[in-house]
Amino acid sequence: MKLAVYWTGSCGGCDVSFLELGMGLLEVLSRVEIVFWPALVDAKRRDLERLPARSVDVTLVNGVIRTAENKEMVEILREKSKFLGAYGACAHLGGIPALANQVNGVTEIVFGPGFRPGAPLGEAAEDAPPELLPEALSLDEVVPVDFVVPGCPPPAGLIARFFEAAFAEAISPGRIFAGEKALCEECPRTREDRRLTRIVRPHEVQPDPEKCLLDQGIICLGPVTRAGCGAACPKGGMPCTGCLGPTPKAGDPALAMLSALASLVRAGEEGESAFPEENKILDSLVDPIGTLYKYSFAKYGRPLLKLARKRQEVRA
Amino acid sequence: MPEFEPRIVAFLCRWCAAAGADLAGTSRLQYPPNAIPIRVNCSGRVEPQWVVEALKAGADGVLIGGCHPGDCHYVVGNYKTRRRIYLLRRMLAEMGIEPERVRLEWISATEGARFAQVVSDFVAELKRLGPLHGNGGRG
Repeated sequence: MKLAVYWTGSCGGCDVSFLELGMGLLEVLSRVEIVFWPALVDAKRRDLERLPARSVDVTLVNGVIRTAENKEMVEILREKSKFLGAYGACAHLGGIPALANQVNGVTEIVFGPGFRPGAPLGEAAEDAPPELLPEALSLDEVVPVDFVVPGCPPPAGLIARFFEAAFAEAISPGRIFAGEKALCEECPRTREDRRLTRIVRPHEVQPDPEKCLLDQGIICLGPVTRAGCGAACPKGGMPCTGCLGPTPKAGDPALAMLSALASLVRAGEEGESAFPEENKILDSLVDPIGTLYKYSFAKYGRPLLKLARKRQEVRA
Repeated sequence: MPEFEPRIVAFLCRWCAAAGADLAGTSRLQYPPNAIPIRVNCSGRVEPQWVVEALKAGADGVLIGGCHPGDCHYVVGNYKTRRRIYLLRRMLAEMGIEPERVRLEWISATEGARFAQVVSDFVAELKRLGPLHGNGGRG
């Protein structure tokens, strides 16, 4: 099987994640021919361009689409590949880098006024950094995506499941290599209270090791996130932040979680007199967008953000 | 240019606000025709995703009409919706969309006049805010 792996706007964690396969990696490597994988073997863009169309069996792209170069590279990869998949949360849903989309004109803020992305640095025009796109995009906004191996980074079990399907030539189009059910289904923690009397951040408390984190006031996205990692984070005392993406039932993960969260909030007996206290609890949710859309902002926040931008332009 | 006429999607609880809207009609009250009513079994059934979907699909504002505190047919549905809309409005504001575009009102089955007033007020407020969609929600 001819395999290509490419990184766009990525932290590199996805490339490292293959090591999670342990001894299984040896078998994978014995069965693939790596035709392009910048993190692993030296090959340049021109080597990729020389490959015949559809000559790569499977391509995995990790990272967010952030620059014009990212976009060009995945367009070339798409042309050269029979199957192209989003690998990891950034390619799948935009990931953490896409939270930058909240800020309009982020380059001006970071690099100062007058900064032009892609402008040549001094004389060496060919060394110019690639132009930044106006927003960070998930892979499927740029090229058709055949399948997804989700996660930040994808957990070993799901990577293995993907290779199994790839070797059997059984990648069904649109497949997401994760569970359909919610993460809570595989979480060993016990659910009791079903009410939220406060909201705290993970560093503020020492959570009870047996009880549901949500019951303890820690925002855990388990109810709206796909199973598939064995609830690795909740097992380790940290809440699920949603890296495997929403279950098919959840739809927009942030709005689904917002709904669940608001239902659970209690400040004593329910009623009009409790409203101010309930509001206080809801106000203590720090950074709702960053918390609830942590990995999925490019994909799910985009339509609303577009409306907001248009409004800003109209008002300006 | 003709005056901007906001489009409102109104999710109305069948036990109170929808009955209030009916009463406004049978009482022949005059109020602007901008709200498209959708009757739901309880304001607590209104998911934040529906509200956002309405805004995305062309609405300039979304009205949710529920029972007064203490009157919910399902005891606590309106309380849940109040908390959801409270948080949703905060999130919309952070994205740069005026939270005033999502309005939750308590309207009982006997308050036909109040329903008419709420719709009139909301239309006036949305006219002040302007269209959410650049083209005034048309197309």
